[in-house]
Amino acid sequence: MNESLLFLIPLLPLFCAVINMLFGMRLPRLFTEVLAVIGVAGAFGLTLLFWDYAEGNGSRAVLFTWLNSGTLNVSFALNFDRLAAPMTLMVTGVATLIHLYAIGYMREEADYARFFSLLNLFVFAMLAIVLADNLLVLFLGWEGVGFCSYGLIGFWYRKLENAKAGTKAFLVTRVGDVFLGVAMLWLFALTGTLSISAINAQAASISPGVVIVLSLLLLLGACGKSAQLPLMTWLADAMAGPTPVSALIHAATMVTAGVYLLCRFFPLVSLSAVAMTAITAIGALTAIYAASCAMAQRDIKRVLAYSTMSQVGYMFMAVGAGTVAGAMFHLLTHAFFKAVLFMAAGCIIHQAGGENDLFKMGGLFRRGPTELFWVFLAGAACLAGLPLSGGFFSKDGILLALYTHADPVFRVFWLIGIVTALLTAFYTFRLVYLVFAGEWRGSGSPHDLPWLMRWPLWPLALLSLAGGLFNLPALVGGGEALHHWYGTMAGRTLTVSPDVEWMLAGLAAVVAAMGWLAAHWRYRNYHAPLENPLSRFLLSGWQADALLDRLFVRPFNAMALFSWIGCDRTLFDGSLEGLARTSTRCGALLLRITTGRLTTYLSAFAWGFLILLGWFLLKLVEGGGQ
Amino acid sequence: MIPFGHALAFAGALFVLGLTCVLLHRQILMILIGVEIMLNGASLVFVAASAYWRQVDGQVFAILLMAVTAAEVAVALAMVVYLWRRKRTLVADEFNGMHG
Repeated sequence: MNESLLFLIPLLPLFCAVINMLFGMRLPRLFTEVLAVIGVAGAFGLTLLFWDYAEGNGSRAVLFTWLNSGTLNVSFALNFDRLAAPMTLMVTGVATLIHLYAIGYMREEADYARFFSLLNLFVFAMLAIVLADNLLVLFLGWEGVGFCSYGLIGFWYRKLENAKAGTKAFLVTRVGDVFLGVAMLWLFALTGTLSISAINAQAASISPGVVIVLSLLLLLGACGKSAQLPLMTWLADAMAGPTPVSALIHAATMVTAGVYLLCRFFPLVSLSAVAMTAITAIGALTAIYAASCAMAQRDIKRVLAYSTMSQVGYMFMAVGAGTVAGAMFHLLTHAFFKAVLFMAAGCIIHQAGGENDLFKMGGLFRRGPTELFWVFLAGAACLAGLPLSGGFFSKDGILLALYTHADPVFRVFWLIGIVTALLTAFYTFRLVYLVFAGEWRGSGSPHDLPWLMRWPLWPLALLSLAGGLFNLPALVGGGEALHHWYGTMAGRTLTVSPDVEWMLAGLAAVVAAMGWLAAHWRYRNYHAPLENPLSRFLLSGWQADALLDRLFVRPFNAMALFSWIGCDRTLFDGSLEGLARTSTRCGALLLRITTGRLTTYLSAFAWGFLILLGWFLLKLVEGGGQ
Repeated sequence: MIPFGHALAFAGALFVLGLTCVLLHRQILMILIGVEIMLNGASLVFVAASAYWRQVDGQVFAILLMAVTAAEVAVALAMVVYLWRRKRTLVADEFNGMHG
């Protein structure tokens, strides 16, 4: 066993995806399902086996040379280092549980082979992003993730809005990809290499102005995949996909890719204070924007979608504040609690008879299996940041990094973070109360929950509650294991007095409790949804779709219409058709001369002869004059 | 010896007469006769020029022209017969099948 076998980690899901793609429908259903799980679980096991290789400076394995042309040398290189290893473990681990859950969730689905092969392909693409040492390999995974999300969000493509949601996710993330592509080409032009580690090593030699632009390009690329402002509109619509897909997109793959990209390029990005501030600002704005939207949503999955956006905003803030360890810590805890929340939401929707509307649920504590309430509560506690849950510690670490940043503007971001935490606690418990408290308000009858949909929730619920142990701050006697694990990659080390730390932790706890109390006061007894302009505004996500439509889609359509009608139809077709029409008219004029009568032609001959004769006579006279 | 200018004037008059015949008549036969007269005018110029410059080429060409004219008349008369069969008329303007 050596590091050249590292390629097995991404290859296993790819292999199983291909098998399922080609033969899935011919094989017994159980075989397809088991194969899909083996692909991901095997990758998880391999990651554990290879764990030691990540220590030190990590291991690099060159699989083969992909392209070799002039100075362009693209080798299919994998980089299993301290940053990649925990991420790989999380992606494969959470994805394994989601796959198991999906078997239960999709057991009545006829198109299972397509589903499971896409799911495996999704994990493969994400692993390619995580493990890539070469920007082109990373880009391959990046686009693969985009394609799989398109296929899975629009999985039930027979309903038009699902297909449209898939297309939207594909197109909106593609906008970000363009910026990433530009950054990639520019980096190659500057450094002459596409290897991420080599680029990071040369980062200091790039001029500061270029670093700012490059970092902003990378940021925009990350914004597309991570659904940050202004490319966030696709995520809420992505709920059209099956619930395991939502869990996979939100927890393990796709939206965390942007954060990971920024962490990967942290040595480059951190050189520019402007870019770091921009990253934090984007994160802060998205966090509070999404949290405000989540407060008014009626669809349980849309609440969770906006919460993802908001939490990814926190991760961006962490990167911007210079703490990679903090961002990755929140990424890990978020992966656990968001996976459990989504999977529990899938169970809840099953229990409510396929009903997504929060206001038509209620009373599920008494109605459904009680365990559902406990696992959902575990996830919700983490999301809301209740003290001692995983989410509390990771969010607290980010807020601490923002608070202790030297630049005073980060205090504003810290304040936004605190307000967002308050809103988060409020909408999370609003969700819990609306779903579980009170009386049943819906009409559907519960479907039975298969065993496979229930037990994967437990390990995830425990992981999210205990997630704090990964990086327990020294303040409460923890070892900051994750921070030490990242070593030199962890970013800024925070040096603060315990007083400040206690104060911030206390504030976070108070804020979470306040949010809970507000939700308790408002939603303990059922209230019909408010119908006022503000709630409508929030429900529609600040009219972001309409705004983007007016800003980009309509001008684009107008431009396309101008090109089509104005340029192509009028200018090009018009001038060509005009030319043709003039030729036809000239032809018709000439046609009148050809009478077909012999006498006409004969007199024409005679006239021509006369003219020639006259011409020669004239020449003769002129010649005689000389 | 006839002066060269007289011969040219006579040949030119013959040519113009033929041309007038071609242009004014509507009957195909008359047009063909006009063409023959024009050709004879032309060959007269050859013969006169041959006599004037004492070169035999012009006379050779006049004989060649006779042969060509004979061939042309043979074809033309065959076509006249054919046209008569088609339309029972020999007025040239009746045959306007080539109009645009």
